[in-house]
Amino acid sequence: MIEANGLTKVYGSKTAVHGVSFAVQPGQVTGFLGPNGAGKSTTMRMIVGLDRPTAGTVTVNGVPYAKHQDPLHQVGALLDAKAVHTSRSAYNHLMAMAATHRIPKSRVQEVIEMTGLTDVAKKKAGGFSLGMGQRLGIAAALLGDPQTLILDEPVNGLDPEGVLWVRNLVRYQASLGKTVFLSSHLMSEMAQTADHLIVIGRGRIIADAPMQEILSGARQSKVLVRTQHASVLATLLGDSGVKVDQSETETLQVTGVDPRQIAQVALENGLLVYELTPQTTSLEEAYFDLTKDEVEYHSHVSGQPAGPSSGQQPGTDQSIPAAAGK
Amino acid sequence: MSTSTASRATNRASSAGSGGVSFGGVLRSEWIKFRSLTSTRILLIVTFVATIGIGVLTAWIRFLTIDGLQSAAAEQNRTLTPEMLEQSFPPGAGFDLYNLPNAGLQITILVLGALAVLFISSEYSTGMIRSTMAAVPKRLPAFFAKAIILVVASYLVTLVAGVIIFAMSIPILQGTGLELDWSTDGVIYSVFTGGLYVAGVALIGLSLGTLLRNSAGGITVLVGIFFVLPIAASFLGLVPGDFWKDLPKFIPSEAGGRFLSIGQVDGMLDPWQAGLLFLGYVVVFMVPAVLVLKRRDV
Repeated sequence: MIEANGLTKVYGSKTAVHGVSFAVQPGQVTGFLGPNGAGKSTTMRMIVGLDRPTAGTVTVNGVPYAKHQDPLHQVGALLDAKAVHTSRSAYNHLMAMAATHRIPKSRVQEVIEMTGLTDVAKKKAGGFSLGMGQRLGIAAALLGDPQTLILDEPVNGLDPEGVLWVRNLVRYQASLGKTVFLSSHLMSEMAQTADHLIVIGRGRIIADAPMQEILSGARQSKVLVRTQHASVLATLLGDSGVKVDQSETETLQVTGVDPRQIAQVALENGLLVYELTPQTTSLEEAYFDLTKDEVEYHSHVSGQPAGPSSGQQPGTDQSIPAAAGK
Repeated sequence: MSTSTASRATNRASSAGSGGVSFGGVLRSEWIKFRSLTSTRILLIVTFVATIGIGVLTAWIRFLTIDGLQSAAAEQNRTLTPEMLEQSFPPGAGFDLYNLPNAGLQITILVLGALAVLFISSEYSTGMIRSTMAAVPKRLPAFFAKAIILVVASYLVTLVAGVIIFAMSIPILQGTGLELDWSTDGVIYSVFTGGLYVAGVALIGLSLGTLLRNSAGGITVLVGIFFVLPIAASFLGLVPGDFWKDLPKFIPSEAGGRFLSIGQVDGMLDPWQAGLLFLGYVVVFMVPAVLVLKRRDV
């Protein structure tokens, strides 16, 4: 259980985190989602006492991290995969970390095997690839078999097999009743991994709700309609105040009315409808809806709006339907 | 909170154990870090060899000087008594033979001082410091564990090197007729105090590394204090006025060096005063380092 209360961090003239309050509950994976520079890493560093909050408090299991007698058993944190001396072997790095809490050597071997580092454990960490560095960081986080796992962008640089491994790992840890707090800017990863979502933008909490709620509440549900009489149906629906987009000749995107009512309108007017599909909102859309005003660094590419286009094309790897991972 | 109590209970059965942070554990952790870097081992060996080399070379130069004086005297059909020889080396000027164990200390403080800076500054440059401080969030135990390891390592290296230097110096200087053995006044004192000076320099280095978080900066300042300041101070002696002439003896390297000598010399601090002054310098560097480390973001 992580509880933040009015947590604020000011660096010079820049407020990185602006009075955020949230609670991360045990037994589920809580995603921490936000654009680059939103304050995710700063918040996580404050949780483990590396950065001193300008104002506010944050506790882990009711106690500030630094006050715990056994911090590595309380919290395992992957904050920065580069938090390793480049000239020291992975094995010695873990041994040094373990020694502080008298964690036995057998546990060091265990996390090395768990993270697939056996072959490179005696090599200098400086020569590790980004993915290997992430694995070492995760090994260090798991070292104390902690009650709470805090992982900042854990899948960065991992291959697909590694991504799957991290996903299974955090879900397993949550199933053991542990608190798992996972940051990412990859929405597909969040959609498949997290049960609960805290969305942050420009240092402020934008949303803090179960994944399902964020997905359903993000925007009104859409219905995809295919009919030979698209323009006729569009006019009919449009007259009753419903938003209709015609993307292809025989295809309509209808927002704000359920499929049953569309079918009713079609029947009353004798129009043949050969497809009527309710569309689930992707996390990507929900996220863009939530953060469109909060993005720290807008990219100004011509012809590329910040949000998804109204035409729903769930073909990209980031648009994962809400049902996935449930 | 009942849930966390219950979960802590299950944690006890974990293969990770359930121990908390203890200073002994932090000390072992820092020791693993210290010995697991190839650069540390190389620097320690280099320091050890170089200290002995310079020490023995100094003994050899002393022998040649004394031998030269004796040959010159013999040509004039005079013999130099040991007393006359000793007087030809003004006391307190660093030529005392009892001080030979510490003859190589300039190189020892340079390398071990730099090693001490690196012991923490390299953690800042690699990001390791975040792992260290996440495991030891009270922070100061990690600093003091590093300090203890540096003190013990520098003391032992200096002590053993000093013993070897002096053991090799005895046969070199035997032919001069000078009484020089382990019972000579000041020898045992030199052997046991040299390491304290080096340990003090190491603590200043560790403090500089902590304050500046930068290897190059820390080493530069350390070299400035122990190698450039003495030169600058010697120029001060040329400035008119007694105040400026007195000032050089208070700089850290002079105080530390004087602490290794025995006896009172006019115009110099007593060894114990110099030792206390040097200890004061160590504290002056360590206190801000500790305060800053405790407060600053890592």
